[in-house]
Amino acid sequence: MCSSNNLYKNPKPCKHLADYKLKNGLCGYNLIQDCFKTTPYGRTSLEISKSDIPRCSICSGCQGRFYMCLICSSVLCCLSSESNHVLLHSQSQTGHEISVDIERAELYCSVCCDQVYDPDFDKSVMCKHVMGFSRTENGVEESELRLSKRRRLSFGMDLDIKNMKRLFFRRDQKSKSCFPLGLRGLNNLGNTCFMNSVLQVLLHAPPLRNYFLSDRHNREICRKMSSDRLCLPCDIDLMFSAVFSGDRTPYSPAQFLYSWWQHSENLATYEQQDAHEFFMSMLDRIHDKEGKSSLATKDNGDCQCIAHRAFYGLLRSDVTCASCGFTSTTHDPCMDISLDLSTCNSSPKDLASKSSKPNESLVGCLDLFTRPEKLGSDQKLYCENCQEKQDAVKQMSIKKLPLVLCFHIKRFEHSHTRKLSRKIDRHMQFPFSLDMKPYLASSIVRKRYGNRIFSFDSDESDISTEFEIFAVVTHSGMLESGHYVTYLRLRNQWYKCDDAWITEVDEEVVRASQCYLMYYVQKMLYHKSCEDVSCQPMSLRADTFVPIAGCC
Amino acid sequence: MRHSVNRPPTPDTRDDREKEPTLKEIISIKLIESGEKERLMELLRERLVESGWKDEMKALCREYIKKKGRNNVTIDDLVHVITPKGRASIPDPIKAELLQRIRTFLVSATPL
Repeated sequence: MCSSNNLYKNPKPCKHLADYKLKNGLCGYNLIQDCFKTTPYGRTSLEISKSDIPRCSICSGCQGRFYMCLICSSVLCCLSSESNHVLLHSQSQTGHEISVDIERAELYCSVCCDQVYDPDFDKSVMCKHVMGFSRTENGVEESELRLSKRRRLSFGMDLDIKNMKRLFFRRDQKSKSCFPLGLRGLNNLGNTCFMNSVLQVLLHAPPLRNYFLSDRHNREICRKMSSDRLCLPCDIDLMFSAVFSGDRTPYSPAQFLYSWWQHSENLATYEQQDAHEFFMSMLDRIHDKEGKSSLATKDNGDCQCIAHRAFYGLLRSDVTCASCGFTSTTHDPCMDISLDLSTCNSSPKDLASKSSKPNESLVGCLDLFTRPEKLGSDQKLYCENCQEKQDAVKQMSIKKLPLVLCFHIKRFEHSHTRKLSRKIDRHMQFPFSLDMKPYLASSIVRKRYGNRIFSFDSDESDISTEFEIFAVVTHSGMLESGHYVTYLRLRNQWYKCDDAWITEVDEEVVRASQCYLMYYVQKMLYHKSCEDVSCQPMSLRADTFVPIAGCC
Repeated sequence: MRHSVNRPPTPDTRDDREKEPTLKEIISIKLIESGEKERLMELLRERLVESGWKDEMKALCREYIKKKGRNNVTIDDLVHVITPKGRASIPDPIKAELLQRIRTFLVSATPL
């Protein structure tokens, strides 16, 4: 399994810190613990005296950064490189090199002129923080070790190579295309591009593809076992067989559509619908059918249906009291992440500022998603520590990453007040390779407490945070009358799936498209699926490429 | 008994400085003692984050670190390099808002 990102490895202590630790051990950290106080919003700071402002013991100044020496507790200032009294202090007294930044409660070495890190110091900060709210269980989560077994990534979901080979060798000799196997156009059955686009994604999502092509949902057995003739996974299985059969003529998912209509009567129209809604309803239906069986749940309660195994993630929501810093944490399951466009609502202040608005990007949206958000004064929440309603700050982060990450960009704005809906057409950049590490709960929570080398949620380190994109669903046109197209990335080549038409396209086309749903899969699964038999081009002749045209 | 020597009291450098606190220092002390400074700091932090200033500074820091090499930069370096840029790029509306808050505070804190 991959090792954790080296961004957060414990840095080696400088010589002076090491010497300090040797001589003094933890007693300095423990003594200073009494001075830690939690500022509003959850940061930790040093409070030397309740009434007096910090004054430098060398110059009595009250400006600049202040440090407290860990050996003699004298307070020193550092105004500039010329007026650096904390350095002066360490030069006049040997052994007094390590001090604590008063504003931030972080370690500083005056000889190295740099911040230094010690897990023991951070532990004492965090302990104080936790103990400060002794009335409830805040923070205990972070130091608690999960006793449940570590989740193992099972690549390929017990891929049964032999079974797959049997399917694939029924080649269509007339096929000229050198496309990878499994690429087949889907006929539009009347405004069903929303369905076709999502189906193309599911047909090529590595966990789902491997699951269905390994015959894990066997139609005969299913029919025998359940009296309920309606089974969406069976229809999906049928579709997989058809699409991966080698036949290149566009396929009409009529059976599937009919089946889906029967499951959701209110959506059984020929009207244009939302692809994201369809995607969520698909996952629901798969879960409904598969999640009910007795083998469905693991020891820790996680559902084992294929929809959950592929897409299930956990979001962490922290609400911090703006008055006392107490934080309460909840976890919510999620099957996708809906993101607001970040430069959407600009206040007049922003327009006046000199800084030019950055281009919209996925990273920007994720930053916005995990940014601390001040809740309005009409949303005061009850703080257990203060025992009254207070203003609060909310921050989201990701506790558990799924195998397949789906990002939904909220381009359709529905305003209840003005009773109108509109589509936001702004272009959004997105990377092909994405590292989700900065958005994990461990990274976000770590940042909140300052620069700490305290390990939060040790569980997370065994899951990879690197993802590769494999599908993009784009929307063009207006809210009521638009068109969905999916771009698939197979073996590093992009293919445009526009209903029945499949064409090879360049990267630039995909980058310039207006993304609506983006699907990223864990890097290892992506690379493994590129090597799979299923992706080998079938034709032996290196034909010039012929776009698949179908009749609709 | 006579005083053995008539001489002025030994000048203490600390006393000298404490004798005449500047107006700036007086205001600063008043702000801190009343807790207003902490509130203003939080307000300032919020505004600077909202306006994107913090992200700009982060980007500048990253650029600098990339240029110099991760192991060749100390926090003092960064502070020294970024401070002038940071000070210069604070949006005017934020300055105005804080000045207004400080003025209001002074008016209310000064006895008539």
